[in-house]
Amino acid sequence: MCWRRVGINCLMLLVVLPLYLMLQGTSWEQRVEVRRTSPTGYTLPAAFSRVLAMGYQGLLSDYEFLRAMTFYGDRSVKQQQMSTEDWDFFAYSLDVVTDLDPYFLDPYVLGEGLLTWDTQRYEAANTLLRKGMQYRTWDWQLPYYIGFNHFYFLRDSATGSDYMMQAAEIPGSPGFLKTLAARLAYYGGKSQTGVLFLQQMLAETNSEALRQRMGKRLLALQGAVQIEDALQQYRNAEGADPQALSELARSGYLEELPQDPYGGQWVILQNGRVYSTSKFVDVKSENQVN
Amino acid sequence: MLQRVWALAMVTCKEGIRDRSLYGVLLFALFVLGLNVAVAGFFMRDLGKVTVDMNLAALSFAGLLLVFFIGINLMAKDIDKKTIQLVLSKPFSRGEYIFGKYFGLVLLVLSTMALLLVFSSATVAGVHSMYPAYFEGFSWSVFFWAVAFIALQLALLCAIVVFFSAITTSSFITLIFSMATYLVGVTLEEVLFYLKSQAAAGEVVASESLRSVLEVVAWLVPNFAAFDLKTEAAHGLALEPLRLLTTAGYGFSYILLLLWLATLIFRRREFN
Amino acid sequence: MALSNGVCLVSEIVIDALYKKYKPGLFKKPVEAVAGLSLRVPKGTVYGLVGPNGAGKSTTIRMLLNLIRPDKGEVRIGNKSISAVANADFLQAVGYLPENPYLYDHLTLRELLRFAGKACGMTAEQIATRIEALTRQTGIAHALKRRLHTFSKGMRQRAGLCFALLHDPELVILDEPMSGLDPLGRKMVCELILELKLQGKTVFFCSHILSDTERLCDRIAILDQGRLVREFEAEDLLAFRAGKRSLEDEFVAAVGGTH
Repeated sequence: MCWRRVGINCLMLLVVLPLYLMLQGTSWEQRVEVRRTSPTGYTLPAAFSRVLAMGYQGLLSDYEFLRAMTFYGDRSVKQQQMSTEDWDFFAYSLDVVTDLDPYFLDPYVLGEGLLTWDTQRYEAANTLLRKGMQYRTWDWQLPYYIGFNHFYFLRDSATGSDYMMQAAEIPGSPGFLKTLAARLAYYGGKSQTGVLFLQQMLAETNSEALRQRMGKRLLALQGAVQIEDALQQYRNAEGADPQALSELARSGYLEELPQDPYGGQWVILQNGRVYSTSKFVDVKSENQVN
Repeated sequence: MLQRVWALAMVTCKEGIRDRSLYGVLLFALFVLGLNVAVAGFFMRDLGKVTVDMNLAALSFAGLLLVFFIGINLMAKDIDKKTIQLVLSKPFSRGEYIFGKYFGLVLLVLSTMALLLVFSSATVAGVHSMYPAYFEGFSWSVFFWAVAFIALQLALLCAIVVFFSAITTSSFITLIFSMATYLVGVTLEEVLFYLKSQAAAGEVVASESLRSVLEVVAWLVPNFAAFDLKTEAAHGLALEPLRLLTTAGYGFSYILLLLWLATLIFRRREFN
Repeated sequence: MALSNGVCLVSEIVIDALYKKYKPGLFKKPVEAVAGLSLRVPKGTVYGLVGPNGAGKSTTIRMLLNLIRPDKGEVRIGNKSISAVANADFLQAVGYLPENPYLYDHLTLRELLRFAGKACGMTAEQIATRIEALTRQTGIAHALKRRLHTFSKGMRQRAGLCFALLHDPELVILDEPMSGLDPLGRKMVCELILELKLQGKTVFFCSHILSDTERLCDRIAILDQGRLVREFEAEDLLAFRAGKRSLEDEFVAAVGGTH
């Protein structure tokens, strides 16, 4: 009787417990792999999740937002390129989050920060922001973002100015908005617009990861602005575009060609804007995936 | 009469407060508040909203646990275990019993909520002082209004628990019925408005009969969503006094009607 | 120290042709628990109800307390029907101990008794002196500060007795008061009942323990299958006590044949 009890205890301690400890670790490792290879997440449509939230829509919106942000963060830490499906999931998540709590500011800011720069979904970003404008009527940032998108990405200065003016009329908006609208109209699609905008975003973000990303992009854009300025001087002086951008440095318009922090090569686009072959996305990661 | 109702309420409340499970509920709420402090930094701007969301969720969920797992026992166990024979052999009328039990439950809920509110306010104030720049819309008065309406919502739930205890014979059935009523009450508005918007868009025709059924249900089951000021509190949106007044009146009149109905049924009940 | 609140002094209690049927389950056939029971309990007597399990003793007691309602027949206090008397006034004069009372787990004994006193409209001083006296008499004065869930079965029975008697009622109804008590406890309950009798209270109780019943009662009724089978009055009881007849034999004779 007694020996049997000792036997059971030994079995538990020497076999089952180590087995558990081993499998627990393995199982978690497995989950990491499962999560990494799982194509995209799935977010329940808002019509369902609003009901299923049982009165905790606000909390659920926080959770869904955190999930979308972690998903994106996960991919970017592992240097994985976001696929089209990934971006679909991300954009849809933000849409659901803002259906759950349309007053929540963070998803609008994140949507503006990522949907435009990283995946060129300008219309998706604008639609999201317009939803926010219906609710956050006191918030000048949302029309300001839409205005910027029109100036910089969509090259629609008229609509852009409209939104900028709307933003400027909201009480509590910063005084520079009115003059900014004018300056943006002047720069139009030039890189300087992006610099101004990013500086503004950077000043208002406390998330370290996002700050780093924006800082890098700002650096790249500042480089582009520098080149654009030199290019303008070159055109004014020589009456034509240079054969290659390296000529700007050789002929003294630039001390040296700035580095693209993303590691790409500078090119002149058809519309005269200076851009990089990196498209301001980490080149290394792109190679790794493809 | 008041003395008897009060005596029963006090006994009921004490019985609930000394229940060990109460510590579990309190611990749960404190855990969520702690989680709030930890998680706040993950967000970018709207820390005020996230903080208020989590605090109000902690309060209201703790309240639900309290009513469902402690409150139900306080009345249904009386009947289950026949303690009620002891009580009703004293000069209690059936109505006094119902109201005494109800006020005992409400007293238990209110005192627990008051305690949790102290912790919750401290958490909000703490996160507020950690990230003062990200609480732009926050307003203490709206926050407290939201807590008050959570308490009213729970008082309504207590009335539902008392009602079902009065008409059923087992605490388990009471639990199932009150939970079902709560779930219907809390989701009804969303479903109804969704169906209405679908009908307006001319999309789903088949749900016409479902809609009319739900509209009848809406007369029977209280709309718990009406008492939900969490979004307003999260963003410090202005509250119309008329809305608060209407909602409070809606809640109190429902409670009174339900307790009255419970008394009518309870009077006919026999206790073997 | 009678609390003469001036309410409904209990006089003779008449149980007149009571009927009560039960459905033991939702789809089961109704069972007749009490079938045409008539009893008279004069004021100031100790009335014992004996009978096998399921004889309808507890049901009768619950009908007396208005916890359940008779299908037919009525209970009268003096010559007034109980349904005509305000229930609260009647209950003010009644003390009831249920069978195996389940008390509130987390209250202390003192809190429970205070609750009983307040429910009957007693003042704080009245309650305090009465708690003192009763708990000493029943031997649980040492446990006043203890939570009730720590009580043994016997202590619970005593606490239930204190709960029933706290407001010094005119009519005391006890459902199996001796169950779960040790010999000392039984002796205590017997003395308590005799003292109540000396104070002129009416005591109505049911029990399985024939020897105690025989010793305490002025009248005894044997119930079986919801009917009154035998009733013993003063001269029968004298004969029992003198040892000439025995209640047990009578009981077996009256009930045994049907089982």
